[in-house]
Amino acid sequence: MVSLGMQSLDNKFQVQLLGDHAILIKLSKGLNAGMDKDLLALAQFLKAQKVPGMKDIILAYDNLTLVYDILHFDTNPYFFVNQLLDAFITEASNNNASNNTARLIKVPVCYDPSLGIDLEHAALIAKCSIDALIQAHTTAIYTVYCLGFLPGFAYMGDVPKKIQLPRHPQPRTKVAAGSVGIAGKQTGIYPMDSPGGWQIIGRTPLKIFDPVKLSLFSAGDQVQFDPIDLALFHQLNNQADVC
Amino acid sequence: MSVKIIKKGLSDRIVDQGRFGFQDLGIQPSGPMDFLSAQLANLILGNDITEPIFELHFPASVFEFEEPMYICISGANFVPVINEKSVALNTSIQVYPKDQLSFLQPLEGRSCYLAFKGRLDENKKWLNSYASFKTTLNKGDHFAIDTAAENNISIDALKQNVIQQVQKNLFNEDEIRFIPGPAWNDLDPASIQLLMQEAFTIDSKSNRMGFLLNGPSLQLAATKQYLSSAVTMGTLQLLPNGQIIVLMADHQTIGGYANLGQIILVDLPRLAQLNNHRPFKLSITNVQTAHALYRSIQSWFIH
Repeated sequence: MVSLGMQSLDNKFQVQLLGDHAILIKLSKGLNAGMDKDLLALAQFLKAQKVPGMKDIILAYDNLTLVYDILHFDTNPYFFVNQLLDAFITEASNNNASNNTARLIKVPVCYDPSLGIDLEHAALIAKCSIDALIQAHTTAIYTVYCLGFLPGFAYMGDVPKKIQLPRHPQPRTKVAAGSVGIAGKQTGIYPMDSPGGWQIIGRTPLKIFDPVKLSLFSAGDQVQFDPIDLALFHQLNNQADVC
Repeated sequence: MSVKIIKKGLSDRIVDQGRFGFQDLGIQPSGPMDFLSAQLANLILGNDITEPIFELHFPASVFEFEEPMYICISGANFVPVINEKSVALNTSIQVYPKDQLSFLQPLEGRSCYLAFKGRLDENKKWLNSYASFKTTLNKGDHFAIDTAAENNISIDALKQNVIQQVQKNLFNEDEIRFIPGPAWNDLDPASIQLLMQEAFTIDSKSNRMGFLLNGPSLQLAATKQYLSSAVTMGTLQLLPNGQIIVLMADHQTIGGYANLGQIILVDLPRLAQLNNHRPFKLSITNVQTAHALYRSIQSWFIH
C-alpha cells in the first residue's frame, strides 16, 4: 500500500476504456473545490514520461483522457495504464511532498460597458451595482478546469454565486477576441472572434491564443482578473498587436 | 510544380493524419474523415501514407495543373473528369499543364481524396500538421508540389489487393461497431433495445464536426449532468432531444453530453462515406476485436 502524505492513491483513480484508442482516468470520489492536486500531478507526470504512441493527454474537471496509437501497444490497454499509474504512485511517494503548486496568472480586464457589452444587463440580472459585480468577479481566484470549444478557450470556475448569469438564449454571431464572459458557474475569455452565448462583462488586452506561443492557459492554472481602465486597455492592446 | 484552384468547392481542405498533442489546449485533431482512402491514395502513388492530401466534398473545387505530374483520386466517387474526359478512381493518372480536373456528381460516398505524387509545400504546416479546421482551398490558390522525379508508377498485385480490400471495407452494409462508453449504463433499458435494433440514417445537417443521426428517440433512465471530458472522433453523444450525434474529424476536444460509446476506428471510414439515404445499424464490439481489426488493416499498407 503506497501512500502520498495522508492519502492513499491506490483507490483514488478509476480507469475506463474510451473506445479503441483512448483511456479515461477518473477520480473515484469526484471533485471537491478546485482542481484535484493528485490528478493534476498525474497529468504532469504522464506528459513528462513522453510515452511513445501517447498522442494526447487531456485534463478536464475530475478526469484525464489518454489518446493512444493502437499500433504502439501490443498489451491490453488496462495493463498498460495500470503500469503508468503504478509508476506515478511510486514517484509520488518518493518525492513525497506534492510540490505541484499551480501557477497564478493575473489577467488585466477592462470592465467598461463599451467592451463589456452585457455589463449593465448583467448587473440588472445579478441585482447589484456594476461596481459590485466587478468587485465580485475580480476578488475570486478561479481554477482552469479544462480547455475546449476553441483553441485556448479556458473554462474557469467557480464564479461567486451572486454573479452567476445564464447564457444568452440566442448566441451572438460574433463575440470579439479577448471578451470576458460568464455562463453559470463558469467564466472564460474568447481567444478569437467567434460566435458565443456568454454574458460579456469586459475585455482583456492579452493575447489568449497565439499561433506560435499557443495557449496562455492550461488546465490546473489559477487565474485572477485585475481591473484596468479604458486608457490602459488601449495602450496594452496596441502593444499586443505590435508583438 | 504546382496546382491551382480555378473554382472554389463547398468545403475542400488539406488534411493529413491530424494534429495530435495539442488537444489539452483545445486544438482539435481535424484529421481526414476517411483515413483509409487518404492512405490508399498515397499508397497508390508510392508516397508515404501520411503525406498531406486534399479532402473534397461535393460540389468540389476545380483544379488546373501547371506542370506534368501524377495524381490519384480515392474515396467517394464524384465522377472525376479531366478536360471533360472521365478518369478512374484508385489509380495513378498522369496530368499535363493546362489540364483541368473537375467533379460532376456525388455518385457514392461523401469525402473524396486527391493526392499528388511528391510532397506539398511545407509552408502550410502548423504544429506538426497540415490539418485545418476550416476550408483551405480557395479560388486562385496555388499549391507547390515537390514532385519526385519518377517516370512511371506501377500498380502491382500488392497494391491491387489493398485497393480491393479498402473498397470492400468502405462500401458495404455491415453494422457500424462501437464500444460502450461511460454513460452507456445510464441509458433507459428500452432505449438500449431501440439503439441495438433500429436503423439510423445520417441527417442532412451533418458536417465534418459531427453526424447527426435520425432514428429512434433515446433517453437516459434518469436525468443526469456530466462533467465535461475528452471526446474522440467516433464518440456517440446523446443530445438532450434524444438524438445521437457522432463526433467526426473536426470535433471539439471535450464534451459534456452523455457519452454512450465510441465507434471503432476501422468502421469510421465506412460511416464517413455513408450517404444520407442509406440506413445502417449499430452493434457492440470490444477493444480486443477493434485492435486486431485495426492492426490487420494497417498491415495492408506496410510493404
